[in-house]
Amino acid sequence: MSSNSETYKPEALKANRWLLWMAGILSIIMMAPVAWLLGLSIKANQELMLGTDAVFRFPYTLVNYFNILHSSQVFGWFFNSVVVAGGQTIGVLILSSLAGYGFARLEFPFRKTLFVIVLFGLTLPEQAVIIARHQMFTWFGLHNSYIGLMLPGMSSALGVFLMAQFFRAIPKEIDEAALLDNASQLRIFWKIMLPLTLPAQATLGIFTFLQAWNDYWWPLISATKKDMFTLTIGIASSQSNFAQTDGLGFLAAQAVFASLPVLIVYLLFQRHIVTAVSGGAVK
Amino acid sequence: MAEHYRRSQARNGLFVLPYLIVFVALLVFPLGWGIWLSLHKVDLFGPGRFIGMTNYWRVFADPIFLQALRNTIIFVAVSVPVLVGLGLFLALALNRTTRTTSFMRGLFFSSSVLSVTIVTLIWRFVFIPGDGLLAQVSRYFGWETINFLSTSGWSLFSVGVTTVWWCLGLPMMLFLAALQQIPNDLYEAAALDNANPWRVLTRITLPSIARTIMLVTIIQIVMQFQLFGQAQLMTNGGPNGTSRPLVMYIYEVGFLRWDIGKGAAASQILFLIILCAAMAQYLVSTRKSGDAA
Amino acid sequence: MSASIEITNVTKRFGAVTVLEDISLTIKPHEFAVFLGPSGCGKSTLLRMIAGLEDVTEGSISVGESRVDTLPPGQRGIAMVFQSYALYPHMTVAQNMAFGLENIKVAKDEIERRVRQAAETLEIEQFLDRKPQMLSGGQRQRVAIGRAIVKEPKAFLFDEPLSNLDAALRGRTRLELARLHRRLGSTMIFVTHDQVEAMTLADRIVILNNRRIEQIGSPMEVYQKPATRFVASFIGSPAMNFVPVTHATLDGPGLRLTTSGLGTVQTAIRPKNDLVMDGLTLGVRAEDVEVLPPGETGTDLTAEVIEHLGDHTLIYGLLSDGTKLTVETGGRSEVRVGDKVQVRLDPAALHVFDAEGFALDWEGR
Repeated sequence: MSSNSETYKPEALKANRWLLWMAGILSIIMMAPVAWLLGLSIKANQELMLGTDAVFRFPYTLVNYFNILHSSQVFGWFFNSVVVAGGQTIGVLILSSLAGYGFARLEFPFRKTLFVIVLFGLTLPEQAVIIARHQMFTWFGLHNSYIGLMLPGMSSALGVFLMAQFFRAIPKEIDEAALLDNASQLRIFWKIMLPLTLPAQATLGIFTFLQAWNDYWWPLISATKKDMFTLTIGIASSQSNFAQTDGLGFLAAQAVFASLPVLIVYLLFQRHIVTAVSGGAVK
Repeated sequence: MAEHYRRSQARNGLFVLPYLIVFVALLVFPLGWGIWLSLHKVDLFGPGRFIGMTNYWRVFADPIFLQALRNTIIFVAVSVPVLVGLGLFLALALNRTTRTTSFMRGLFFSSSVLSVTIVTLIWRFVFIPGDGLLAQVSRYFGWETINFLSTSGWSLFSVGVTTVWWCLGLPMMLFLAALQQIPNDLYEAAALDNANPWRVLTRITLPSIARTIMLVTIIQIVMQFQLFGQAQLMTNGGPNGTSRPLVMYIYEVGFLRWDIGKGAAASQILFLIILCAAMAQYLVSTRKSGDAA
Repeated sequence: MSASIEITNVTKRFGAVTVLEDISLTIKPHEFAVFLGPSGCGKSTLLRMIAGLEDVTEGSISVGESRVDTLPPGQRGIAMVFQSYALYPHMTVAQNMAFGLENIKVAKDEIERRVRQAAETLEIEQFLDRKPQMLSGGQRQRVAIGRAIVKEPKAFLFDEPLSNLDAALRGRTRLELARLHRRLGSTMIFVTHDQVEAMTLADRIVILNNRRIEQIGSPMEVYQKPATRFVASFIGSPAMNFVPVTHATLDGPGLRLTTSGLGTVQTAIRPKNDLVMDGLTLGVRAEDVEVLPPGETGTDLTAEVIEHLGDHTLIYGLLSDGTKLTVETGGRSEVRVGDKVQVRLDPAALHVFDAEGFALDWEGR
């Protein structure tokens, strides 16, 4: 894509270079805390207790990472995150695809009204419903369970909205041809519509997975038992013992370990995530 | 006389039924019940009697709530312009497809995929009193080392810095998308019209993305009003509640003290505030663009 | 397998807007019928109602002996070829053609047989394993037709199938469609706004306009005996000339029409029914107006624009009162722009339309 700011005059180029340098300085500032974190994670705890300027000196060590690998607790948290995020993603994909298709392509009574109501759900912030949800789940004994952690995220209207947009883009005649081909609505959905929306599924799936993985407030209040913590909450609980027991180095290594899955997903699927976020317009 | 075949059939509604069940059970019902709870005296042992708006008055009369309200408003008023401004700046600077700009864009957006707990951990390491990255840097330059997280004025500021670092990616991406929608012809016509870069920016670029600016601002207002994790984990709302945001107040009232009715009332108040703020921003923007047109 | 199609008192409304009003017509088995009309006249809507893709507001539709407006689209025994072909993009050509048969649980070897046969007929065997995006427009259209053939339907519906093709391809495809109809012998309904397509392909043309059927007839019928002024103006190129009649009397052998541009025209038209003598219009086609050789007198015409088409020449001229008249004459005509020529109407080729636009019917028409 050609640049919009590169006009045909040298002054414009000069201004651009200035902007770019500023951005460059900013990116160094962006990276500094992460570099600091990495530095801390490769130092022994005892050294750091004497002063963090140990980061600038040798020796460096991977002992903190070894300790993580031996820590069943962190792995337990990791496993929980995988199950909850994975389950929530699958649930969202199924529900949103069905509903998105229904709203976008099928006709049934009250369709427009229902869709508008669902869109209102997009504007609802978490706090308006979280207390009531917590009470409900207490009633049904759903706390501290995988189902309990997965369910609230499946009510997100964003998935329905995204899938509906995507389904709308498919030409109507394809449905009509399939109707004349004697296909039931379910068969049209399964054999024709779904395969045509695979990129949207991928995008929505990754987006949902990341969101579920990073969710804070709900797992905080619903998973009160240590063995049901997701990785996000587990890191938070370790933080409260900040200055003392675990040691700075180990803590830092935990943070690095916890960011790895997310960053790997990000690197692999950068394009999809950016598409989801910017509505497909950014190259 | 037999029935005509109709394309609109109730049976087609079955596709949206599974989602609607979840939607009603987990969004509509809790919303309604939350409001109901806010009008009752509720505690651990179950809902009590109907007390009307009492919970709401209790919230408004609570000095901690008012302090949290003030904190949150200040926070939003400062962080949103910074996020929108920086995001716009980065989008303008990086609106090219070179290796460097691609790398930088990926860098600035990568912080957004981390969870709040990791982000706060990273920044707590930076802010460690006397030992964090900032302390090391201050000592190097011979400056006074400030205890960012436990000093009244600075605690909210630190939370703000962390938040900007975390949330910068999204505005940047949205602005990039908008900038790339501007047709090249406009810039070419401006070049023929002898426009200098500043004029191009203010008279062509910015007006073309005016809607996106409004959109991003509204999104950020809504997001930052819901500030929670960073404040709770980094400063625990302190010192003396000077960095406690509204959501944290709701959390403490509803889930630590189990004063559920009051918590529900506070959350409805917050919902309304967010709605009003977003609407106000929308009206201001549309009125402005209406005048300009 | 071909069946008749019967449309009985069908009305179609979209909310408050009526698109088709009380339409009734019968299409005979094996017939190639064309629904012709300007855009927005409801011809596609009517087609889609037969297919079941639009609801029927009032009335009924039958295919063969059975009533179909109560049935879902797939069960009406109808196959449709869409304007944009509507092929399933992620399936191969063979899969596209087999899909409909799979849905009604036809045996696998039967499906294969039909697909192969249709592919042979349409000369697309070499594309069977390709996906639609790798085919050209014309090839895709043949696949769409193939998808319809394998269903062995009682009738074929075509929704403006030639509109998406470029001019050269359009002519060739028209021929192929005519050959296909002769080969299969099936009932076919074809929707178009192009009267040349209608004239060349149809056994009968159904002309629709303004919510109603203007006329149903064979191409020659609608050309030579248009029932309304609309039909007269829509069929035939260049369009028929219309000259307003100021005064009409029944005199001698027939109507005596007084016009301003053409003077007084004595016709041999004896109207069958009672006639209101006001607001009549005289219609005559360009090829029925003769340019008289020099020396003979007729009506004055000043040539404004001249089009030489090789085998004939069109003279767009103005009568003495300013009324426009188009005249067709031989290819070797030497009339030039600005010339004044003498023209005469062929008295046997006149049309008269009443104030409501209906053509007069008379003895011997």
